[in-house]
Amino acid sequence: MVFLFNPEGALRILINILTFAGIYGLSAIGLNVHFGWTGLLNFGHASFMGMGAYVTLLLMPHAAGREGEITTTGLPIIVAAFFGIAAAALFGLLLGLPAIRLRGDYLAIVTIAAAEIFRLVVRDLESITGGVYGIISYTENLQKFRPEFINNLSLNYEFAPAQAWVGMIAWISIFLTLLLLKRLNNSPWGRALRAVREDEDAVRAMGKNAVWLKLQSFMLGAGIAGLSGALLAFNYGSLETTVFVPLLTFYVWAIMILGGVGSITGPIFGSIIFWVIISETDRLAYIFFENANGQQLAGVRFLLVGLLIMLLMIFRPSGLLGKKEELLLDVK
Amino acid sequence: MSNNLLEVKNLKKSFGGIQAVNINELKFNKHQLTSIIGPNGAGKTTFFDLISGFQTSDSGEIFLNDINITNSHPYKIARMGMIRTFQLTKVFDRMTVLENLMFSGSSVSNDSLVKSIIKTKRQRNYENDLKDKSFEVMEELNISHMANAYARELSGGQKKLLELARSIINNPDTLLLDEPLAGVNPKLAEDLLGLIQKLASNGISILMVEHNIEAVMKISERIVVLSEGSLIADGSPGEIRNDKNVIEAYLGKSND
Amino acid sequence: MLDQLGNGLLLGIIISVASVALSLLYGVTRIVNFAHGEIIALGAIATLFLSSPIDYRFLFLDRFTPLGLNFVISCLLAVLICGLFGGLLELLLFRPLRKANVGNIAVLVVTIGLSIFIRHLYLLFATGRVQNFPLELQRRQTYLFFDMTPRNLKVLIIGIFVMVLIGLLLTYTKLGKAMRAVRDSEELSSVSGINSDNIILITWISSSMLAGLAGVFQAIINDVRWNMGFLILLLIFAGTVLGGIGTSFGAMVGGFIIGILVQVSVGLPFMEGHTEAKNAVALGIMIVILLFRPQGIFGKKERIS
Repeated sequence: MVFLFNPEGALRILINILTFAGIYGLSAIGLNVHFGWTGLLNFGHASFMGMGAYVTLLLMPHAAGREGEITTTGLPIIVAAFFGIAAAALFGLLLGLPAIRLRGDYLAIVTIAAAEIFRLVVRDLESITGGVYGIISYTENLQKFRPEFINNLSLNYEFAPAQAWVGMIAWISIFLTLLLLKRLNNSPWGRALRAVREDEDAVRAMGKNAVWLKLQSFMLGAGIAGLSGALLAFNYGSLETTVFVPLLTFYVWAIMILGGVGSITGPIFGSIIFWVIISETDRLAYIFFENANGQQLAGVRFLLVGLLIMLLMIFRPSGLLGKKEELLLDVK
Repeated sequence: MSNNLLEVKNLKKSFGGIQAVNINELKFNKHQLTSIIGPNGAGKTTFFDLISGFQTSDSGEIFLNDINITNSHPYKIARMGMIRTFQLTKVFDRMTVLENLMFSGSSVSNDSLVKSIIKTKRQRNYENDLKDKSFEVMEELNISHMANAYARELSGGQKKLLELARSIINNPDTLLLDEPLAGVNPKLAEDLLGLIQKLASNGISILMVEHNIEAVMKISERIVVLSEGSLIADGSPGEIRNDKNVIEAYLGKSND
Repeated sequence: MLDQLGNGLLLGIIISVASVALSLLYGVTRIVNFAHGEIIALGAIATLFLSSPIDYRFLFLDRFTPLGLNFVISCLLAVLICGLFGGLLELLLFRPLRKANVGNIAVLVVTIGLSIFIRHLYLLFATGRVQNFPLELQRRQTYLFFDMTPRNLKVLIIGIFVMVLIGLLLTYTKLGKAMRAVRDSEELSSVSGINSDNIILITWISSSMLAGLAGVFQAIINDVRWNMGFLILLLIFAGTVLGGIGTSFGAMVGGFIIGILVQVSVGLPFMEGHTEAKNAVALGIMIVILLFRPQGIFGKKERIS
């Protein structure tokens, strides 16, 4: 592990990994509600994250677009984040209302296409979203609440206090989300969702509205993704539409499968393992491909993500940590 | 209160030019055990799918308790007290037998997301009662020893039992049983038959599609025969046994 | 407008050929192949590698030397390479998965992993930059009601010819009938003496060859990029869905409609300054089709929910 061999910036790297792991883990938890719990094949997860990020940011003081026009008025971050989450959930409902009846593979195509439309539209609405020039100057909304102890620690140990604060919030969010999901999983609602995953026809035959259950699941997962999208924006410090390309969705899929589809805590372990692998790959890529350019080096990690998704699906569809009885992945 | 349970008029359904169901008029009475028989491809399962809302008809009307349910959603029809089972047993594989039953018995309001987050005392009590009720049903069907087994670990016959248990947990008025004896060993088939008879004597109206003619003759009060989507005979077991059309339809398809 | 119509026809022929390939594969194997775009890119990259002059030094991290073959031969070889690649995919990956009874959805996820993997292999070992085939520049000319270069007109004609040929083969030959039989029921067809494994292998090979051809077209008309397959994949889905998944004729027409629509929409007044959103129009149409007429324009009704 790089941070063990290299004590100089060890803590900085560790915090970087944990922050990304937290944010992506949170997103994977949302995806898991869709796929693991309900069997919904959602390949547009990036758009839910994007919706959460854009709505949260645009409601707060920020600067957007080519000229970087500054908006100084806005909502406090808690309220903005609430609307961001709600917007993502609402987007889930809007997309789900017509699409959720579709069979698995069709739903996959519709969601990935809808996510691309979302991205293209956001990119095009430059006057609001800043288009390709993105949004900046919004991190202060969060960082002004950064606790003093992080600053003090960062004086003695070398790490970025701003990122540590985002990471901390990500992990607190994960903790709270997991509490909620744990509660739901052992509830009649969670039971009904699993029944939908197992056999929709039988659910209908028992007098239950399977479509409504699926929609609720879609909204819940989308909302969680919305929060993680906002956190991702705070971690980057500036927001561009390129963040929400389909590859982001595939990252989250890899994490979910890695941790074990359907398992509640699986995504967080999946995410940590994933980001350790990714950061190791980045390091090794520099050694192996010395004459490659930056774009190609960045490609090495995606190469690995693809391989990971493929191999896991073939050899360990229940993930590295999943239990076999619950997690056989085969949705009709 | 009329004695009409289910009534279909001019019901038609075809697949790619083949007329799967074509029934002018057919009525079923309450509190009766009626069997629907016919050679393979006679449209029995399609008929079930139509009246339970799982397929939409090309034309025609369906009434349940004199209420028009034509092309209504399956879950709405189920909520009216008519519960069906499936020819290919559909159980919730990766849930335990107990969970299978508790899900089926749980009321729609109990399944609500908000209540599941708040977890009121009332919901906990309801769940406890539900668990007791599930065990009662399991006792009745002799499957309580496998309450914590995953449904997919069950044998074919046990899955049929589970499906039946699931169907009766909410005391339905009407049961649609699609081949309840298919793939069940003779001993269990005997038990199942007894069970079905008992349910019928408790006042549940039962429509049953079944290939086991002997069993059908033994327990049915009335038999309806379909062939190539149409009604060809309707009467008591004794009448059907000697019906010329029926014999012809069955002999015509010698493989049956 | 003449320009855009010409461009539309050219994008149409690319999507059309690729959609027929995708549709063929889906029709027989029920696999939604997200790695389809990567096979398209392989066609283009292989042609580039085979046909570039020896001193063309920007490929493959400067480690391999391009071959400098005749261009037409390069194209044909590239298509064959794609066929070979598709065959290997079936033999080494998808057949074992089928034998292990892995579900359709799991296979779909596998193709996504495969797509990401191969695409970044290209980035790493082939090219990170936008490349062009070493062809002479040509001027656009006006034909009937559209503008394009003579070379692109040839591409268009060859493309249409190939698709008509494929259509006839699928409808009238024994092989085409066998493919349809396998599609309807793998079990049943093996009872009736058709070796479904062979049919599926042939399907993979022919689908991949067609995809490779689409890649060659794409490279002649536009350029070669490592991610060219993924950029166009969703449009191919749109073309396939529009025409009706699993029908070759539908995919043909659907592909053209999508191609023309995307290019012509650039010229619409309300699209001014929003050229990037042109793909959004096509994807939006696909979603609407999936929701309201999932069998497409020409497809037969099928249970989709």
